[in-house]
Amino acid sequence: MGFLLPAVAMLFAPPGVTFAQVIERMGAMLTDPYDLGIIWRTVRIGLVVTAVCVVLGFPIASLLARSQSRWAGVLLALAIFPLLLSNVVRTFGWLVVLGSNGVIGQLLTGLGLVEKAPQLLYTELAIVLGLVQLFLPLAVITCYSAVAQVDPGLDEAARGLGASRTRSFWTILVPLSLPGVVVAATLVFAGSVTAYTTPYLLGGSGQRMLSTQLFSYASVTVDWAAASATAIVMTVLVFLVSGISALVGRKGATS
Amino acid sequence: MNQGLRLGRPVAGTLAVAGYVIMIVPILFVVATAFTAGSTLRFPPEGLSLRWFGEALAYSPFMEAVVSSLELAVLATALALVLGVPVTLAIHRGRVPGKGLLEGLFLSPLVVPELVVGLALYQQLMIGLHLDNFTTLLLGHTALLLPYAVRVTGASLALADPALEEAARGLGASPLRAFLTVTLPMLRPGLISAGLLGFVTSFNNVPLSLLLQTRDFRTLPVTMLDYVQQSYDPMVAAASTLVLAATVVVAVVAERTVGFAKIFGGINR
Repeated sequence: MGFLLPAVAMLFAPPGVTFAQVIERMGAMLTDPYDLGIIWRTVRIGLVVTAVCVVLGFPIASLLARSQSRWAGVLLALAIFPLLLSNVVRTFGWLVVLGSNGVIGQLLTGLGLVEKAPQLLYTELAIVLGLVQLFLPLAVITCYSAVAQVDPGLDEAARGLGASRTRSFWTILVPLSLPGVVVAATLVFAGSVTAYTTPYLLGGSGQRMLSTQLFSYASVTVDWAAASATAIVMTVLVFLVSGISALVGRKGATS
Repeated sequence: MNQGLRLGRPVAGTLAVAGYVIMIVPILFVVATAFTAGSTLRFPPEGLSLRWFGEALAYSPFMEAVVSSLELAVLATALALVLGVPVTLAIHRGRVPGKGLLEGLFLSPLVVPELVVGLALYQQLMIGLHLDNFTTLLLGHTALLLPYAVRVTGASLALADPALEEAARGLGASPLRAFLTVTLPMLRPGLISAGLLGFVTSFNNVPLSLLLQTRDFRTLPVTMLDYVQQSYDPMVAAASTLVLAATVVVAVVAERTVGFAKIFGGINR
């Protein structure tokens, strides 16, 4: 949405607030421990979700792209289908799984493993699980395209020359599909640090991220300077990571 | 499950199974709790009934929001296609000045967070220019879908041979006739793909729509989100199951027309 950049520029001049006030609020935000905590939590969750999505998504993509099985098409469709499904519906599933009367709590207490169901909902773990569910399909299809472009003959040649399956995976498949993996990681990170539904439903008020904080400034406290400042921080974070990954991708392509 | 998929790759296989569990299992539990006879989101459900489906269908805020969301998604998708196709043609076929700029604007990977776009639209259009929220939502959603429309129709145009249009023109067809009888049929798969993708994206959108809600016009996902936050009963599970069923129908339509993986995964298999 490059053509929406003018709209972003307008964030510096919200209604009834001066440019200087936005900048001042942004300065305050970058020195305040509470606000910094929210920024750090957002970045930390984004990094963890990205790592998990790549670690789970790449094997799925490589198994499916290299399989001759009839089932591979079905499994690929099963991985893509969640992308069509509302994020609210998908995230709601975790309330059923992690809630106090939920699946995991009932299972643990039912088996007599614990006295009282552990607090799983409204934790960082819940947000991470919810975001992994949301963005794993994106990681799978992006990695799938990357793996599918690697000539299977190269794997076979490596295997024919005596490399183990593990060795050909790490020395052929991974390096050659790395640019695609970088794209996947960037998309997942950008999605995770800007997602709203998941931290709102699974994080509650104790686990604020930039997105939920932005909503509360804009809609609850109606503090335009703070809302704009938060939005600018979020946008800069996404642009910064996209920029770095574009550089990494270019370097990977030339070396 | 299958030799080609599992055997000999224990680590990759285990990670893949874990991935599928996280992607799919929570959705199955939503469906299971929707059929409960009890009044809490407890698992296992207390008895079987269709009671919560009845309640969800009789709950007017949900039903009004379904109509609003459908209206918005259809209009935004149509607008995005009407605006997007000329842009696609200009990028792929045209000799217009500023082509590089067009490509940069519509195909750049630079992503502005949707929540941020929603905030900017709210501040500038709804508060600044006093536009009503439906118009603002329609503008926002059209802008959101436009790059998809340009990219997806562009992909099908890139596969088509420009010589066909030239041949039609050479044989005496007017530019309009050449467009309608040659270019448009070649664009058909792209239009269907972009239309389905746009519709689903708009219908499900939360972050862009979130700040642009009013009492008169609310979209379904945001209405459901508010409901979940306020009350913890299985009605949302029932509503979610209905949304899931509708999504399955869309997926089947997509598979029958252009191919599901191609539209939603951008994968040519």
